[in-house]
Amino acid sequence: MNLWRDIKGTLQPFWITLGYLFKKPVTIQYPEEKRTPPPRYRARIVLTRNPDGSERCVACQLCSAACPVNCISMQAAEDADGRRYAAWFRINFSRCIFCGLCTEACPTMAIQTTPDYEICNRDVLKLVHEKDDLLVDGCGKDTEYNFYEHSGIGVVNGRGGNEDEYGPVDPKSLMP
Amino acid sequence: MPKLTIDNLEVTVPEGTNVLEAARILDIVIPHFCYHEALGAVGSCRLCAMMFLEGPVKGVQMSCMIKAQDGMVVSSTDPTAVELREHVIEWAMTNHPHDCPVCDEGGECQLQEMTVAGGHGNRRYRGKKATFTNQDLGPFVQQEMNRCITCYRCVRTYRDYCGGTDYGVLGSRNRIFYGRFQEGKLESPFSGNIIDACPTGVLTSKPFRYKTRLWDLQEAPSICPHCSLGCAIVPGGRYREVQRVRAGINRETNGFFICDRGRFGYDHVNHPERPREPRIDGQQATLEAALAAARERLAALVEAHGPDSVAFLGSSRASLEANALLRDWASAYGSTQLVYEAHQGRDYAARTLAAQVGGHARSLGDLRQSDLILLFGADPLAEGPMLALAIRQAVRDGAKVVTIDPRPVVLPCAARHLPLMPGRLPVLLAALGQGDLSAFDAEERALFAPLLDQIKAARRPVLVGGADLLGGKGVAALCSAASALSTTERAVGVMALLGGPNSYGGALLAGDGPGFDTLLDAIQERTVRALVCLESDPFCEAMDPARAQAALGHLEMLVCIDATPSLAAQRADIFLPVRANVEMAGSYINNEGRLQEFLPVIAPGLPIKETGAGNHPPREFFQTTPGSAPVADWWLLAKLLERAADLAALRRTMAKYDERFSMLSVLAAETSGLRLPVKVVLPPVADRELPHADGSDNQVLLATTGPLGSHWLAHLSSPLAATEPRPYVCLHPESAAALGLAPGDRARLTTRFGHCHVEVRLSAQMVNGLVLAPQLWDTALEGLAPGSMHDCRLEKETKA
Repeated sequence: MNLWRDIKGTLQPFWITLGYLFKKPVTIQYPEEKRTPPPRYRARIVLTRNPDGSERCVACQLCSAACPVNCISMQAAEDADGRRYAAWFRINFSRCIFCGLCTEACPTMAIQTTPDYEICNRDVLKLVHEKDDLLVDGCGKDTEYNFYEHSGIGVVNGRGGNEDEYGPVDPKSLMP
Repeated sequence: MPKLTIDNLEVTVPEGTNVLEAARILDIVIPHFCYHEALGAVGSCRLCAMMFLEGPVKGVQMSCMIKAQDGMVVSSTDPTAVELREHVIEWAMTNHPHDCPVCDEGGECQLQEMTVAGGHGNRRYRGKKATFTNQDLGPFVQQEMNRCITCYRCVRTYRDYCGGTDYGVLGSRNRIFYGRFQEGKLESPFSGNIIDACPTGVLTSKPFRYKTRLWDLQEAPSICPHCSLGCAIVPGGRYREVQRVRAGINRETNGFFICDRGRFGYDHVNHPERPREPRIDGQQATLEAALAAARERLAALVEAHGPDSVAFLGSSRASLEANALLRDWASAYGSTQLVYEAHQGRDYAARTLAAQVGGHARSLGDLRQSDLILLFGADPLAEGPMLALAIRQAVRDGAKVVTIDPRPVVLPCAARHLPLMPGRLPVLLAALGQGDLSAFDAEERALFAPLLDQIKAARRPVLVGGADLLGGKGVAALCSAASALSTTERAVGVMALLGGPNSYGGALLAGDGPGFDTLLDAIQERTVRALVCLESDPFCEAMDPARAQAALGHLEMLVCIDATPSLAAQRADIFLPVRANVEMAGSYINNEGRLQEFLPVIAPGLPIKETGAGNHPPREFFQTTPGSAPVADWWLLAKLLERAADLAALRRTMAKYDERFSMLSVLAAETSGLRLPVKVVLPPVADRELPHADGSDNQVLLATTGPLGSHWLAHLSSPLAATEPRPYVCLHPESAAALGLAPGDRARLTTRFGHCHVEVRLSAQMVNGLVLAPQLWDTALEGLAPGSMHDCRLEKETKA
């Protein structure tokens, strides 16, 4: 019995290999040929912009808090109009594991993953991307969201100017 | 002692404890906003609802408002109470701006925690939100009123606890607005406490704005280095800089709050000019080389000129361990020239206090319970602000306060002020002790006689003194008055405001050694040829800086061990950088003899904002952190003495050989500290007459400690720069009238340190016949050591 099993075990793999000789190959000749990954593929991380073209990132540091490999660092600063933004923003792609947790944590849709997977480099320092390298033109996957139009601290529309707000009250008023 | 049951667990609590606190003892956390241990319960946030099942109270009640009573059975998990709490949170969130990503409170926001804990996830309210216009509340506090949940904590902290008057609540229903009537700087020197008190992001720190999210902040329990009270603080740092300080909790000292100097005076650690590299003769060197050079050169001097040719100056800023090692170093050479404070008045005051206070020592916690507080030459807001807050709490409980001072002492509470010349303060103390006021004229007797009756009638009286004005003699008089006035039923307490966070520790180590003036004489006579300064600046801190600078010029060698850009650090032949107290572990002894430990918050290094010039951190990699050369002061001295640089071992040795420090072996951070054993430890110090003005110029000037931002470490802290006053003098209206000066006038002040243009301020509260001027760094008033008196000329400036 064991002999029969051994003969089958020897021949069957050859038969399977032989069968694949006549099928279309799944491998492609990278880099001459390139695949198009699905749109939600998690590769190069970018910082997107609001529909009005302003920076989306508010440097809330939730992405860096969520990052399991601590590859994101930044410093928040304040603009003249009260907008919080990233004075500098750095992602170390030599450390990034492309898990996408940063994009899930982002409350402003600023940080997004893209299907661009070709970011390898022999120089490690070239894999440390600064804000200028990360910032793209456009909204990415969400074309409508602007954080400051929903958070009511009056940066985009002035105080009390958002859709779901009354104008600022006069606390000194004597009206009931 | 009522015994009650909370969530099926039995607990016995002291009489008067509320149910919320009782639950906390059982580690059951009841959500709450408005309740605060120091502020008490008002039951306004409606969040601490619990179900009272059995006992004198029944139904859903606010647990902070119900005192624990026998037989109560309370449930925190009852569905009715839980549902009510959920609704309360939902109401609190109706007007919330939902801006957590850009809110500095994120990470320690009670509203965030309670919202998550209460299970409120989906917004059901579809109406519009109320909004507010913010106010600019000055350099410390940032307001964002839209986040407010109207818990009243800020107002209770600012007005009730801290005694501020310029912040309050306006409006009604959903127009409730917390702020000033008119936009402007918050005037209270305790304004920063509303940042800690606010459970959400309405009031946040302006200097800390957008610097760091709180989960990234490195924090550790520490002790405030700004005055002698030893308040518990929790500094936070990131990117190699200290970025904020919040109040720690120590019921024996500061309680739950701290002053603005402690809160915003952290920036001296990040000072751009802070010397961070060892130097030999002005040339940068390695630490090993600098240590070897110091050792060799001092040994050579000792060899050539005898052991007393090397003098040592300890510090009230350095840790107790380092100060003790400095003493060991001095004795290793056989030198007796060891002084622990360059300001002689403060030095003698601290030593006298340590020697004589004994069982009369009182903590700030005791002071809050006191019913009569007499301040002799103590200006709490300048010399130890949290003392003013403790006095206020005593006054809120009915205590009486009398300030006897040449200065117009301002307190955040009602107090009686009796102006008296500084030289007369010890006389008055002695007279009070003997119950004989014959040294005073009839008018003064009428003022001071009621004090005797008040002290006799008081149950827990405390005499408070200030080292600057009292000096050694005055503190001795303070201590003897306290023992003379004590009866068998009750003792009279003593508290003295000393020079620095470790003045008491230095005093214990100094024993009956020489004072700094004697040391200066020895330097001038060339018997002392080298001086080692441990975290002190004899050029600026001495009572007579001019004399000190002249004498110190004769030195053959100056070794400076410091963490600040002081004059001594600039002039040192050998400079050894050390860490600031937030960068190392160590201990201080505060002004009541309480030994407290502090832990390192961050490691030393050039802040990233500096190495990156405000932009990204540089894209280079170093083997060592730039600017990380400073080591702990005790580490450096242990290395100099060729001992094991191990803090635990050092403490064990200190505890073994000196029973006063036996507690060092059981010291722990984040506790209320350990009061040193009560024991007369020192022989009385022979005080020396301080230089007095003879009035040969037209006025006598009394130098005082300035307000918040005018202390050395505070002066180096940029957030406090806005509070640093421009040079001014304070006069009694009568003296001002004699000189033809009106309030607000510009005047020219001439002292032997030079000329200065000052603003004239008047106060009818102060003693007549003195000119008060604060010591202000980087101005012509720099040389005015607090407590010293000088001849001066004050002339009205006529506009050219």
